[in-house]
Amino acid sequence: MKRIVVLALTVLLAVAVVPIASAQEDENVVLRIGLTQDWETLNPTAGFAVSEYEIWNVHYATLTDKAADDFETIPGLAESWEPSDDGLTYTYTLREGLLWSDGESLTAEDIAWNINTGRDQGWDNMLSTVGNLDATVIDDRTVQITSSVPDPKLPTLDVYLVPKHIWEPIATDYDAATQYDALDGVGSGPFVVSDFRKGQSVTMIANPNYWGYEGDEPAIDQVIFQLFENPDAMVAALQQGELDAIHGFPASSAEALEADPDIEVVAGQQGGFDEIAINGGAIEGQPHPALLDLEVRRAINFAIDKEAVIEDLWFDLASPVETMSPSADPKWLPEIPEENQFSYDPDRANQILDDAGYLDSDGDGIREMPDGTNPIVLRHAVNTDGDNAASIGDLFKGWMEDIGIGVELASYDQDALFGVIIEGTYDTFFWGWTPFVDPDPMLSYFTEAELYNYNDANWTDPAYEQLYLEQKEELDPERRVEIVQEMLTILHDAGVYISLYLSPDLQAYRTDTFTGWVRQPAEIGPVFFSNSSPSYALLTPIGAEGADDGSNNLLIIGGAVAAVVVIGGVFLAMRNRSSSADERE
Amino acid sequence: MLGSILTLVFVLVFNFFLFRVVQKDPIGSLFRGRNIPAATLDNLRSAFGLDQPLGTQFLYYLRETAQLNFGISYQSRQPVWNEIVSAIPATVALVGVSAVLSAVIGTIGGVIAAWRRNTWKDHTITSGTMVFYSMPDFWLGMILLVLFAVVLGWFPVGGITDAGSNETGLALILDQLHHMFLPALTLTLAYLGEYTLVTRSSLLDVMGEDYLTVARAKGLRDVMVRNRHAVPNALLPVVTLTAINFGFVLSGAIAVEAVFSWPGLGKATADAIRGPDLPMLQGLFLLFSAAVIVFNLAADLTYSWLDPRVEEI
Amino acid sequence: MSIAMQRRRATAARVWRQFRVSRQGMIGLGVLAVFILMALAAPLLADVRELNPVFARQAGNPQWAPPSEFAPLGTDHIRRSVWAQFVWGSRVSLFVGLAATVLTILIGSVVGIVAGFVGGRLDAFMMRITEWFLVIPFLPLAIVLASVLGRSVWNIIFVIGITSWPSTARLVRAQVLTVKQRLFVDRARSLGASGPHIVAHHVLPNVSGLILANATLAVPISILTETTLSFLGLGDPSSASWGKTLEEAFVEGAVVRNAWWYFIPAGLGILIVVLAFTLIGRTLEEIANPRLGGR
Repeated sequence: MKRIVVLALTVLLAVAVVPIASAQEDENVVLRIGLTQDWETLNPTAGFAVSEYEIWNVHYATLTDKAADDFETIPGLAESWEPSDDGLTYTYTLREGLLWSDGESLTAEDIAWNINTGRDQGWDNMLSTVGNLDATVIDDRTVQITSSVPDPKLPTLDVYLVPKHIWEPIATDYDAATQYDALDGVGSGPFVVSDFRKGQSVTMIANPNYWGYEGDEPAIDQVIFQLFENPDAMVAALQQGELDAIHGFPASSAEALEADPDIEVVAGQQGGFDEIAINGGAIEGQPHPALLDLEVRRAINFAIDKEAVIEDLWFDLASPVETMSPSADPKWLPEIPEENQFSYDPDRANQILDDAGYLDSDGDGIREMPDGTNPIVLRHAVNTDGDNAASIGDLFKGWMEDIGIGVELASYDQDALFGVIIEGTYDTFFWGWTPFVDPDPMLSYFTEAELYNYNDANWTDPAYEQLYLEQKEELDPERRVEIVQEMLTILHDAGVYISLYLSPDLQAYRTDTFTGWVRQPAEIGPVFFSNSSPSYALLTPIGAEGADDGSNNLLIIGGAVAAVVVIGGVFLAMRNRSSSADERE
Repeated sequence: MLGSILTLVFVLVFNFFLFRVVQKDPIGSLFRGRNIPAATLDNLRSAFGLDQPLGTQFLYYLRETAQLNFGISYQSRQPVWNEIVSAIPATVALVGVSAVLSAVIGTIGGVIAAWRRNTWKDHTITSGTMVFYSMPDFWLGMILLVLFAVVLGWFPVGGITDAGSNETGLALILDQLHHMFLPALTLTLAYLGEYTLVTRSSLLDVMGEDYLTVARAKGLRDVMVRNRHAVPNALLPVVTLTAINFGFVLSGAIAVEAVFSWPGLGKATADAIRGPDLPMLQGLFLLFSAAVIVFNLAADLTYSWLDPRVEEI
Repeated sequence: MSIAMQRRRATAARVWRQFRVSRQGMIGLGVLAVFILMALAAPLLADVRELNPVFARQAGNPQWAPPSEFAPLGTDHIRRSVWAQFVWGSRVSLFVGLAATVLTILIGSVVGIVAGFVGGRLDAFMMRITEWFLVIPFLPLAIVLASVLGRSVWNIIFVIGITSWPSTARLVRAQVLTVKQRLFVDRARSLGASGPHIVAHHVLPNVSGLILANATLAVPISILTETTLSFLGLGDPSSASWGKTLEEAFVEGAVVRNAWWYFIPAGLGILIVVLAFTLIGRTLEEIANPRLGGR
């Protein structure tokens, strides 16, 4: 019996050791990326998560591309373009010999089909760009795009272009097009999707037909995006070499990562910002009546301590901003005249409220409306999917307490919050945005057309509407900037959207595995998950791809454990023999 | 047996009405955050029978449940059943191992405590297990985490495998065991107490009985008396307790799984709470209740089989 | 009437005499007294403004600071004093624990007494309902109810009460059945006493000891349930219970940052209070049921 036990243990030891001996060397060059945001769909016509945009940036090439350093429009699928005399039509010439990743030719037909169908069927993610465009095929390599109104965005055309030969039979209408799972794996970018596991990972493989690699051949065979539920585990994985780069780590880990000599930390700015939004009252659900008074909103603005948030929650990795930032390109950052700016001044806030007649008549610490009724208590919605939302909720409560306004906190996940905003049954909430490069989409979110949809300030202003239509067709770039600054000032002065800071994309990459990371925009931007994600085509591995350290360690541990078990088993075997003699009665 | 079926019916009715009362607009909630045209939503509502009277909806609910169709999760927009099924193995592994370990170790502890009653061994065991039983189980988990994973670094901080690794076979299992160690230790320590105390008092009851005096008189050694006579009879309640606890196995580790990011039913529940993802909660609740009912039934049957003195149910 | 009062007073005195002698009972009582005093004296022990992160920042508190002479239990991620959270949190945890237990005992006792006393079909029906509630796993039921009702202190109390009453009901009913069998109930009936009179003057006094012991043992369950529900995010966002402190500590990464001072005190508080109630409850149980004594 004992002999069998010893034999079994020896087999166990052998089994544990063998994998060490025959560890397979992975010949593939694999880029491993960690992130914390899941993908809902990989369909580029209908999704909106940052994690999804990154996949599309890599999988689909666009007609024109964006320069890494300043977002300037550079050739993409099109190598050149010519405007017409009236500026309403552009004729694009495609590169020679373009192929989809499955070998089919990529021609002007694809371009035209995308634009026209996207417009006709109303694809969400394309409509604001192509709604006014019409495309005509001149020949295989030439496509003509005409706009019905003057369009300052042209010749930039960076909507994702899907393969017509795959999509045409499927996209029969809006529903069919937007509900297609888009897992055909056919693309035109440097890598194409080969495997998608929701809640886990996306795997992409090199597209041999892509023209834009650093060298002639793709330097990387596979890119694996790994989803982490636990951001701390993601940071640990990077530190242990199991990942090559991570996106969106918690600010509190920055110090530890910066201390690591083989890791580079990037706090990338691309116009993203977080705000406390006040219910502007433009839809049915009503905010607390006090919020409809501009003076009350101004008082609230003066009671918010942006410094505290930047210092305590972001460890100074974020930077302050006066109001909504409409673009990733820093040239559109708001410049609010100093005399209009708010600052952290609770005394002044209290003064404003006193002067406006909102007094605390019953001495309970909460002000009431001027007629003495309806104590000002705000329903603040905490977004459970947001990183700092709970802490901001606590801080907001404290700030408002200081100026005699009560706050009730309620928690919602991001989807429920969207519903609450549309219903209007809230007073304030905390959320954020990541804008595009062209300011138009972000600006549109404060117009009447976006009420019940993306206008989460629930606010409109006629002057703002007017200026929005103006900038939409203003072809003179300087004049356009002027108009937009006016709009931002209107939004700022209304006090409905209290932008706290520009939120950086916290990223980190190992300096010992890959090189070639590029910041977009130059110097201040993130190295990936940026507007057009140029890094992927430019990365090359450093030296030989190291074997997976983690699993080797574990196998050695496993082997050691097995060894101990064997020795222990032998010991027990010998001891049992002597004591069983005793046992017999 | 009939009782169990009635209870199951009660659970179904309760489940249906509770959630129907709260979910004012399930279709709207399912697609909140997305731009779906109103007409499509109305069509979906008819398709799901939401414009029918409540009684008819209840029948639909019974039919769907029988077909294991628990609806669609608000958060993942995947069928609830799929989400639940993929989470079951992790929980069964973790809580199964912990339940067995706590039953075994707890029982042994109870035996020693009873046999050596009122000595320091008894007091240590009884007090020790009572302390573990009186603390929040997830707090114990946090302490073990900070000590063994953060400070000493011997174990990972969470999850079931090292993310990003494509290990298979033995290496994968070892990795999973490595990850399972701390949460299993937490649950085992937390639930030892029950077994220890029950075994101890049950054994003390039995120890007063006649046949033990006879066995001692026959000259049998203490250990033999304990192991061959006293313990087996004292074990009956423990067996029943174990069987019943297996039923609560599925729901027992909600907070602990959350602390260790262990991808099982408990973590699924903790995540569903954040929404609230009502379809998920409804499905999970039904599963937990059904598990308890089934295992209670099994416990009753086992008990009557083991102890013929008990009448047929 | 006065005879009954005298008898009750005598019983109480006897119970207290026996309790005083029990070492475990007195330790439990002493510890509990300390915590109740602390909860009541909260304003004297810690400035309630320390719970306000804006005040904490103005006061110059550091972030994530370990215990020091300035902050006896250190500070959290938004500079609030952990000691203040501990002291003020004890109020909520103790209050919810006690209030929920009161509700549990109320419902359980009423059900148990009525079912046991009236007997027959009403008894069978009520016991069927009790069994149903016993079978449904307690925590998921509490979670579902709390998710559906919304997050407030009163909802949590209601949820715990609604889910915990069955075991009390069963115990009370069993005791009532025992009491019913004793002769004096029949004697009282033959003297023409009405049902409610019998319940009040004969059943209740004999059951109250058990109810008290059961209540004391039910408080730990209520406290631990509130803690778990708060930890999972179902607690009242505006009130700082010990469970909420544990939730915030975990979510803000206190474990990963080894900020042990943030989560150890709250858990320790729960542990000690629960142990105190358990010791008191076991002592009361031994007094009410001497067969358990000497173990």
